[in-house]
Amino acid sequence: MAESLLAVRGLSKHFVSGNETVPVIEKLSFTLGQGQSLALTGRSGSGKSTLLNLLCGLELADAGTIVLQGQVFETGAKIARQKAMKWSSLRRQQIGVVFQEANLMPALTLLENVQFRAQLAGRSTASSQDWLTRLDIGALAQRYPDQVSGGQRQRAALAMVFAMEPALILADEPTGSLDRHTADEVTQVLFDLQARYGCGLILATHDAELAAGCQQHLDLGHLSSL
Amino acid sequence: MIRHGMLLLTLFVFLGCSSDNSDEGFAGLAGVEQSVRLDTPYLQPGSGDQLNFPEDFGPHPQHRIEWWYLTANLETTKGEPLGLQWTQFRQALQPRAVSESAPAATDWPLQAAWMAHAAVSWKGQHYFAEKLARGDVGNAGATAAPFQVWLDNWLLSGNEANDRWQLQAAGDGWNYDLTLTIEGEPVAHGEAGFSAKSASGEGSMYFSLVDIAIAGEVTLGGEVLEVRGKGWFDREWSSQLLKTGQKGWDWFALHLNSGDKLMAFRLRDESGSFLSGTWLPAKGAPVPLGADELNLKELERREGVPVRWQLSVPDYHLAIELSAPPGDYLNSGLYPYWESPVSVSGSHQGEGYMELTGYAD
Amino acid sequence: MKGLPSLLASFSLPGALFSHYRRHPLQLLALAVMIVLATMLWTGVNHLTSQARASLNQSEQAVAERQQVVRDDGQMLAVDDFVALRLVGVCVMPWLEVTPETGNRLVGIDPLAAYCFGSRNRPSPALDQPLNGKPFLDMGVATAIKSRDSRLYLLTPDTTQTADLPGGYQLTSFSTSPDTGELGDSFLLNLEALGILVLLITALLLRSVYLLGLVQRRDSFALLHRFGVSPDRVQRWLVFEILALALMCVVPGVGLGRWLAAGLGGGFGQALDGLFDIPLYAGQGQGWAMPVLVMLAVVVIACLGDLLLLRFRERLSLILPKTVYSGLAALLLVAGLAMAWLAPSLPWVFIAVALVFAGAGWLAPYAVARIARWCAGRSTKPLALWRYRELAVLARRLTLPLVALQFALAMVLAVQALVTTFEDTFDRWLGQRLEAAYYIEVPAGADGRQAAEWLTRQQTNTPGLQWHRVMRGQAQVTGTDNANNPQVDVFAVAPVGALIRSWSLLEAADQHWEALDSGSGVMINEQLARRQNLSVGNNLKLRLGNQQRVMPIQGIYPDYGRPVGEILLSAETLPDSFNVRFESFSVTPGKPGIAQMTDALQGIWQVEALSMRDNGTIRELATSVFDQTFALTRAMTLLTLILAAAALLMMGWVFFSTRAWYFRLLVAWGMSQRQVAGQLLRLALLLTGGIAVLALPLGIWLTWVLVHRINPLAFGWTLPMAVYPAFWFELGMLSLAVGLSIAALMRRQLGRPAVAPVSASALTGGER
Repeated sequence: MAESLLAVRGLSKHFVSGNETVPVIEKLSFTLGQGQSLALTGRSGSGKSTLLNLLCGLELADAGTIVLQGQVFETGAKIARQKAMKWSSLRRQQIGVVFQEANLMPALTLLENVQFRAQLAGRSTASSQDWLTRLDIGALAQRYPDQVSGGQRQRAALAMVFAMEPALILADEPTGSLDRHTADEVTQVLFDLQARYGCGLILATHDAELAAGCQQHLDLGHLSSL
Repeated sequence: MIRHGMLLLTLFVFLGCSSDNSDEGFAGLAGVEQSVRLDTPYLQPGSGDQLNFPEDFGPHPQHRIEWWYLTANLETTKGEPLGLQWTQFRQALQPRAVSESAPAATDWPLQAAWMAHAAVSWKGQHYFAEKLARGDVGNAGATAAPFQVWLDNWLLSGNEANDRWQLQAAGDGWNYDLTLTIEGEPVAHGEAGFSAKSASGEGSMYFSLVDIAIAGEVTLGGEVLEVRGKGWFDREWSSQLLKTGQKGWDWFALHLNSGDKLMAFRLRDESGSFLSGTWLPAKGAPVPLGADELNLKELERREGVPVRWQLSVPDYHLAIELSAPPGDYLNSGLYPYWESPVSVSGSHQGEGYMELTGYAD
Repeated sequence: MKGLPSLLASFSLPGALFSHYRRHPLQLLALAVMIVLATMLWTGVNHLTSQARASLNQSEQAVAERQQVVRDDGQMLAVDDFVALRLVGVCVMPWLEVTPETGNRLVGIDPLAAYCFGSRNRPSPALDQPLNGKPFLDMGVATAIKSRDSRLYLLTPDTTQTADLPGGYQLTSFSTSPDTGELGDSFLLNLEALGILVLLITALLLRSVYLLGLVQRRDSFALLHRFGVSPDRVQRWLVFEILALALMCVVPGVGLGRWLAAGLGGGFGQALDGLFDIPLYAGQGQGWAMPVLVMLAVVVIACLGDLLLLRFRERLSLILPKTVYSGLAALLLVAGLAMAWLAPSLPWVFIAVALVFAGAGWLAPYAVARIARWCAGRSTKPLALWRYRELAVLARRLTLPLVALQFALAMVLAVQALVTTFEDTFDRWLGQRLEAAYYIEVPAGADGRQAAEWLTRQQTNTPGLQWHRVMRGQAQVTGTDNANNPQVDVFAVAPVGALIRSWSLLEAADQHWEALDSGSGVMINEQLARRQNLSVGNNLKLRLGNQQRVMPIQGIYPDYGRPVGEILLSAETLPDSFNVRFESFSVTPGKPGIAQMTDALQGIWQVEALSMRDNGTIRELATSVFDQTFALTRAMTLLTLILAAAALLMMGWVFFSTRAWYFRLLVAWGMSQRQVAGQLLRLALLLTGGIAVLALPLGIWLTWVLVHRINPLAFGWTLPMAVYPAFWFELGMLSLAVGLSIAALMRRQLGRPAVAPVSASALTGGER
C-alpha cells in the first residue's frame, strides 16, 4: 500500500432526534493511500454524506481521529476554532468536494466558476479554460450553469475540482441526477483524471457498478469497520 | 326632566375636568376650590321638607339642579292649536349656601351653568332654540322677588304681586311675547312638595301653577299670530340625579274639560318603572297618586317615540287616551328629548303636554 | 383510476391548493402579517391625515379673522359690556388675553357663551374642545391668573350686523395672526398626494410577498393542471383564497391602524374620544367601511392584478425583450420629468409624478443590476466578481420590495423637506410680518398723523425705537392684458425703516428700499407678480384713489397668507383721495418700554385704552398650533418607511434563505463561516445602500415638484426649496441598518446545514 493519505480511527457520529440519540457512524476506521480510490456504499441514510462531511470538516465527529495529509484531527483535542480554520484551509487547497447537484455559483459562467475555485485554492487561473476543454465543455465556457445540461454542469464541477489540484476528492453521488449514459461518461472522466493526477478519491454512491471501479469498498450499510 | 339635569351635568363634568386640568399649574387655587366643596355640601330634599314662598320661585344655589318649566296649550284667533314651551335649567358645579353672597361677576365664576329652551309647535312644525350661559356673570340668573328668570334676551318676569308675568323668547326667525295671568295658588306635589322619584326615597321638591291664562303674540317667519290659552308651570329642584339604571322619563300634565287636572310621571328603569302623579280635582285639595293608583301604557310609537298612551286612574273613573298631533316634536339641542302637546280622549276630553326623555338615541 | 384524480380535484381542489400553506405555514403567516401591517399602515396614515386636517382646521379657526364688538368711546371692554350685549340678544363670546407673570400668553374663553356661535345644534367646532390650558382655558381660570397684562375682547359671529348692536358699540375685525389658510391648504394638498403614495407602497409590498408564495406553488399548479383542473378554476380559487385571507386580515389591520393613529395622535385626540362617545378629533368622519373596502381592493389588485394582466399580455403576445422594457421605463421617466416641468395644470403634474414614479420604480432594480454587472466586469478579484454578480441577482429578485423601499425613502425625504420648509417659511414669514414688537391700532376717529409726528420727534432721543405707520386699502391695477382690471390690496408704510427693510425679497432692483422710501417705486407680492407676469423693472399702472399712477416695480416679496395680490408702497405718496380702510402703527418701543408709549398715544388720541397686540405672543400662538400637524405628518412617513424596511428585511431574508446552499458552497470551498458572513454583509449593505442612493434623486425631485410645481399651480406662490443633507445621511444609515439586519439573519442561517437544491431552477435560488 502506498503512503497513507487519510487515516480514520474509531470515528463516531450520532444525531439527536427528540430524546433519542441515533448513531449514524460508529467506531469507523479505515485508511486511504495516496492516489487511491474508495467507494462508499450503503442505503440512503446510512451515513455516506455524513462521513464525507466529517472527512472535510463541514461537520465535526463526536469521537475518533482523522489524520489527513499528516494533520491530526482528534475530538476535543484542540479548540474548535483552530480546528475549523485548519479544516477551512484544507478544503480550500487540498480537498475537492463534488455534490450531486448545484456545485456551481449560478451567477458566474462555467469559466468564472473554475477560475473562482482555482483562485480560492491559490492556484493559477491560466489553465482554467484548459480544464474545461479537457472535460469536453471548452466551448461552453461563457455559459451560465442554467444554460447547460446536468451532465455538462457536473463536468464543469469536475473541472473546478481538478483545477484546484486537490490531494483528495470527496464526491457525493456525483452522477446521481444524471441518466445512465451521461453518468457513465462523467464517471469515466472522473476516474481517468483521478488516476492521471494521482489524487485520492472517496466516492459515495449506491451504484454497485460505479463502486466496482474503485480500489477499495466501504459498505456503511453494515456499519462495520474494515 | 331629571334627565336634563344629568345631561347637563355631563356637559359640566367636561367643563369641570377641563378647568381642573388647567388648574394643575395653579395648585393652590385648585386646593381652595376643594375646601369650598367640603364646607358647603349639596342639600338633599327629603320627606318633611317644606315649600317657602316667594323664596322658592328663586334659585336654590345649594341644590345641584333645578328648573322653571312652562308648557302651554294655546289657540290662534283662527282656532288652530299651538303648543309652546319655555324652560330654564340651572346646574350647580359648586354648591353655595343661600346665606353666602354670589361671587363677583368680574371673576367670571363658574359655580353654575344655565341652559334655556324655547319651542313652538304649530301645524305639525316644531321650532326649537337653546341657549347656554354661566351663572353669576349677569346675563343668566333668577330672582324670587321680583320674580325674574332670564338668559340673555329671554326673560320671564313677574309683577310685584307675582300674579301677572311677561315672557319673551326668540329663536332663529321666530319669537314669542306672552302675558301670563296666574290664577290659583301653587300646588305642592307628593308629600307637601317632596316628590319621590324612586322607591328608595330619592326625590325632588316640586310644585306647579296649574291655572295660568295666557295671551300674546307668536311670530313665526314674519307671520304674527295672536294666541290665547292656558299654561302649566313647574318648579322643581333637587341634588340627586337619575339613579343608575334609570333610563328616562315620561311626564304628562293635563287640563281636562271637566275642570280636573292631572300630573303623572313615570321613571323608566331597566327592571321596571316608578310611577307617580297628582290628581287635581276641579274643586278640592290635590291628591297624590301612588304607583298602584295609576296605570300607564304605551299604545303606539312614531320613529321610536311613544306618541299614543293609555292612562287610567280608577279611583277617579279616569280612563283616557293621549295622543300627540302629527309631526316631530324632538327638541334637538345638546340633549334631545320629545316635548309635544297632547289631546285627551276617552272618559274625559282635554289637552295637555307630554315630555319624553331617553328615547332619542 | 381515471376518474379518481378528477374526483379528487372536484372535491378537494381548495384542499389541494391550501395544502401548500399547510406545508409552509410561515408563508401564509407572512402574507397574513403583510396584509395586516399594510392595512394598519394605510389606515393609520389615513387617520393621521384626517387628523392633521382636523387640527389644521382647528388651528385656523382659532387664529382666523373674526368680528369683534368694541365700544364707541374706545374704552376697554368689561364683563358689564358682555352682559349688556347678551341681554339684548347679541351673540358675543369673551376672549380674555392674559400674559402671566411667568410663561406664555394664554387665552380665556367661555365655552358656554361660545355656544351661540355654533350651528343650531352644535357648538362652534373651534371651541368644541376641552380647554386644556394650551393656550385656551376657562375664563374663570384665566381671570384668576396673576398677570402682567390682560385684555378682554368680545368676539361675535360674522352674521352679526351693526344694526343688531345697542348704542355705544360698533363692529371691527379681530384677528390673532395673519391668515394661514392658504399655507394650510397647500400643506393638506401635499398630504393627500402623499397618502396616495403610501397606498401604492403598501400595494407593492403586498404584491411582493404574494408573488413569492405563488412562485413556490407553481409546481402544485402544474400538478393540478395535469390532473385536469382548468387554470380558470385554479384562478377562481386563488381569488377566493386571497379574498378570504384579506377579509380575515384587513379588519384587524384597520383596527390596529386606528389604534396606532390614536396612540400617535396623542392625548388631545384621545381625551376627546373619551369625553364624547364619537371620535371627534382622531380621524374625523372615518368609519370602518371605507378603509376596509379600499384595502380589500388593494389586496386583490396587488395580488391578482397580474393574473389578469398576464392573460391579457399572452393574448396580445406582448412579451418583449428586456431592453425594450427598460427602454420603455426610461421613456416613461423622461416623459414624466418633462411633463412635470411643463405641466400647465395640477392634474398634469399628478400624472407626471405617477409617470416618474413608474419609470423610476421600473428602472431602479435594472439600474442596480446593470451597475453591479458593470462593476463585476471591471473587478479582477474573484470574490468581488462573485459579489457583484450576486448583487445583480438580488436586485432583480427583490424588485418589488426594493422599489417600495425606494419610494418610501423618497417620500420620507420629500416630506421631511416639505415639513421643514413649511415650518421655516411659516416662521420666517410670520417673523417678517410681525417684525415689530407691538401693533397698535389707530382708534376710530383718531388722527394717525399726529401720532406719526410724535413718534418722529421721539426717534432722535429714544434708543432702539423702531416704528412705521401702516395704512391699508385697495387699488386697481390698470393696463393689464386682463379686460377686468384686478383689485389689489394696498399696504402702505411710512417711514420705510428698518422694520420693513429686514423683509427678505424674492427679487429686487438696486437701491430698492430707497426707491420705495422716496415714492419712486412699489413692491408687489409673489402672487401678483406671477398672475400678471410682472417682474422687477416693469412698470405697474394702478389707480390709487382718484389718481392714475405708473410706478416701477422695485421688488417682489413672498406672501403666503392670501391669494390676493398686494402692493407695498410708501404711505407718503398716497393721494388724499385714497380710502384708508385700516390704520395702525407697528412699534418696537426700545428702551423706555411700551407703557410710556401707550400713555403718550392715549394722550394724543384722547382715548382711555388702545387696541394693541403683542406680536411675539401672536407668533407663539400661531406657530404652536401648527406644530402638532407637522409632528403627525412626520410620524406617518416614518411609519411607511418602517414597514417598507421590514418588508425588505423579510423578503431579503427569504431570498437569502433560498440561496443558502450556494453561500454554504463557499464554506465547502474553504472559506470560513466568518469570511462568508462578511461577504453577505457587504452584499446586503451594497443592496440597501444602493437603493438609498437611487431614492435620493427621486426624493429631491418629489420635493421640487411639491414646492415648485404643485404650489404655484394651486396657490400662485412657491416655497423656497431647501435640501437637508443631514437627513439624507440619517436615511442612508437606516438603509444600511436594514442591510445589517439581513446579514445578521443570514449569518444565523449559515450555521445550519443547508439542503442541496434538487435542481438549479429559479424556484430554489439557483437563478443568475
